Amino acid sequence: MSLYWAIQWRRNEGLGALFIVLAGFLILYAVLFPGILSIGGAGRFVQNWFPMALVAVAQAMIMLTGGIDLSVGAMVGLGSVVAATSMGGAFGIAGGTAATLGMGALVGTGVGVIVSIGRYPAIIVTLATSFIIGGAALLILPRPGGAIPPVLSDFLAGDHPTAVLLLILLVLGWKLYQATPLGIGLIASGDNPTGAYRSGVPTHRARIVAYALSGLLQAGAGLYVAAQTGSGDPVIGQPFTLAAIAAAVLGGVSFLGGQGTLRGALAGSLLMSVLINVMFFMNLPPVAQYVVQGLIIVVTVALPQLKQMLRRAVR
Amino acid sequence: MTLRGFALNDRMRATLPYGLIIVLWIGAGFFLPGFAKFGHLRYMVELAAVIGLVGIGQTLVVIGGGIDLSVAATITVAAIVMPLVSFAPDTTGIGAILLTLAVAGGIGAINGIGIGILALPPLIMTLATATTLQGLLVIIAGGSAVTVNNPLLVWLGSTRLLGIPVDILVWAAIAALCLAWLHGTRTGAAVFAIGTNALASRLSGIAERRVTLMLYTISGLTAGCAGLLLLAMNGQGYVGIGDPYLLSSIAAVVLGGTSILGGRGSYAGTIAGAILLVTMTALITVVNASAGWRSIILGCLILGMLPLSGRDQNR
Repeated sequence: MSLYWAIQWRRNEGLGALFIVLAGFLILYAVLFPGILSIGGAGRFVQNWFPMALVAVAQAMIMLTGGIDLSVGAMVGLGSVVAATSMGGAFGIAGGTAATLGMGALVGTGVGVIVSIGRYPAIIVTLATSFIIGGAALLILPRPGGAIPPVLSDFLAGDHPTAVLLLILLVLGWKLYQATPLGIGLIASGDNPTGAYRSGVPTHRARIVAYALSGLLQAGAGLYVAAQTGSGDPVIGQPFTLAAIAAAVLGGVSFLGGQGTLRGALAGSLLMSVLINVMFFMNLPPVAQYVVQGLIIVVTVALPQLKQMLRRAVR
Repeated sequence: MTLRGFALNDRMRATLPYGLIIVLWIGAGFFLPGFAKFGHLRYMVELAAVIGLVGIGQTLVVIGGGIDLSVAATITVAAIVMPLVSFAPDTTGIGAILLTLAVAGGIGAINGIGIGILALPPLIMTLATATTLQGLLVIIAGGSAVTVNNPLLVWLGSTRLLGIPVDILVWAAIAALCLAWLHGTRTGAAVFAIGTNALASRLSGIAERRVTLMLYTISGLTAGCAGLLLLAMNGQGYVGIGDPYLLSSIAAVVLGGTSILGGRGSYAGTIAGAILLVTMTALITVVNASAGWRSIILGCLILGMLPLSGRDQNR
C-alpha cells in the first residue's frame, strides 16, 4: 500500500507548475467572482467545466495509446444530435441516453479496430472519420434542432450537483479501469508496444477498448452539451477538438504514448475552462479563445525543448 | 495481414490514379451527357489547380515525414490579407501579390521554426498555428467578404492562352518547378532521406533543420498561391474560404500514392490525386448534393485509400 502512494506521488512530477498556476487562477477567479464560493455558484462552475473535462479525458486516453484523435469535435456534435433526436422515441430518456453512449462506443470501436489492427496512423484515420462523423451529424440534423426533455436538462444542468457526482464517478471509474489488465495494458502498449506485446499484454484489445471508451466519453460530452442548450447542434462540437488536445497537453500527457495521468488531464481542462470563463467576462470576442489555445499549446510543448536547448548551450 | 502482400511499387502507386481518372472520365462521359466535353474537363482541371497547389506543400511536408494542418488557414489568410496590403502606386497589383506571398511564407516559416528548430511535433505546431490564425482572422476581418480588384489577379482568373486558362498554366509551371526540385536536386533527395529516417540523415550530415524549415516555408508559400488563385477564380474572399482544402490536400496526397508515413512518394501522383478528387466530387454532386453525404463519401474515400498509403510497421 505504501508503495502505491509512493508511485502515485511520483506521477505528480512535472505537474507541480500546472497545479500552482491552476490554484493561482482559481484564487484570482474567486476574487473576481465571489459567487463561485457558494454551493450554487460552484455547481454552475463545474457544469461549465464538465464537457471540457470529458473530452480532455477522452483525448488523453487516445494519446496514452500513442495516437491522437482529431474527431473529438465531430463526435461531440454527433452525440448532441443523436441525443436530441432519440430522446423523444419509444424508449424515452433511458433509451436516448443508451443510444447516444452506445453510438459513441460503437464508432470508437470501429476507429480503434482500423487504427490498431489495420495499423494505420491515428491522425489520418481520425481526420477521415471526423468528416464521416460530421457528415452523419449533418444528415441527422442539417441545422440545430431536436429536443432534450426538460427533466433531463434540469437533472444534468439544472440546480443539482449532478456534474460533480458524475466527475467523481469518472475518477472512480478510471481507478477501476486502471486496476484491470486492459487499463494497465493501455498504458503499457502506448509506452512500449513491442515490449508490451511480448510480455503478453493484449495490445490490440487494450487499444480498441480505449478507443471505445474514449468515443463513449465524447458522445457523453455531446449529450451533456445538448442538455445544457436544450437541443442538438451538428457543429456545436467544433471548438472541442483543439480544446481537448490543449487540455491534455497542458496536463502533461505526452504525444508519444504511455506518459500521462488522469489528474493531469483534468487539471489541464480545468485551467482551459477557467481561462475561457475569464476571457468571456473580460468581454473578449469568443474567437480570442482560439488564439489563446493555440499559443498555450505551442508554449507548453516548446518549454521543455527550450529548457533542454538552454542547458545544452550553457554546457 | 493478407494486405501486406498487396504492396505496389512507388511508380505504380503514382500512375494508378491517372488510370482511374481516364476510366472515370470515359465512363462518366458515356452516362452523363456533357461530362466529357472539353469545356467541362477543363473546368475540373481548373478547380483541381487550387488543390494541386496546396498539394505541393502538403506532398513535400508529408514526404519529409510531417504533416501541415495549417494550409486551410493559410489559404484564408492569403485571400483576406491580399486586399489589405494593396497600395495605390502598385498599378499592376504585383506588389500586393508578393506581399501576400511573403505573409503566407512567413506563416510557413513559423511552422518550420517550431518543427525544425524547437522540435515540436508537426501535428501540434501546425494545428496550433491554424487555430491561432483562425481566431486572428475573425478578429481582423470580421464576417465581411472582400472583393478582389487587383488587376493581375483579375487577369489571372479570366484569361485564356490558346484555350487554356492561365491558372492551369500557373499550376503547371509551379508543378514542373517542384518536380524538378524534388527529384533533380540534392536538397530534394534530402527530403526523402529525412522522411525515411530523420536521425540517420542528421548523422550522415544532412542539414535536417534547414531542410525542414524550407519544407514548411514552401508549404506556406504554395498555400498562399492557392489562396490567391482561389480569390482570382471566386472574385471574393471570406473567412472560411480555405476550409475545404485541408482535407482535400491530404486526400490528394494519399490518393496520389505518397506514403503518409514519409519518405516515399512523388508530387506527380498528387497532381493526379487532385484531378481525381475533383472528378469524384463532381460525380458525387451529380448523384447527391447533400453536404452531409459529400463529407461522408470524402472521409470514406481517404479511409479506402489508406491501404495504398502505408502503415505503421513498428508495432
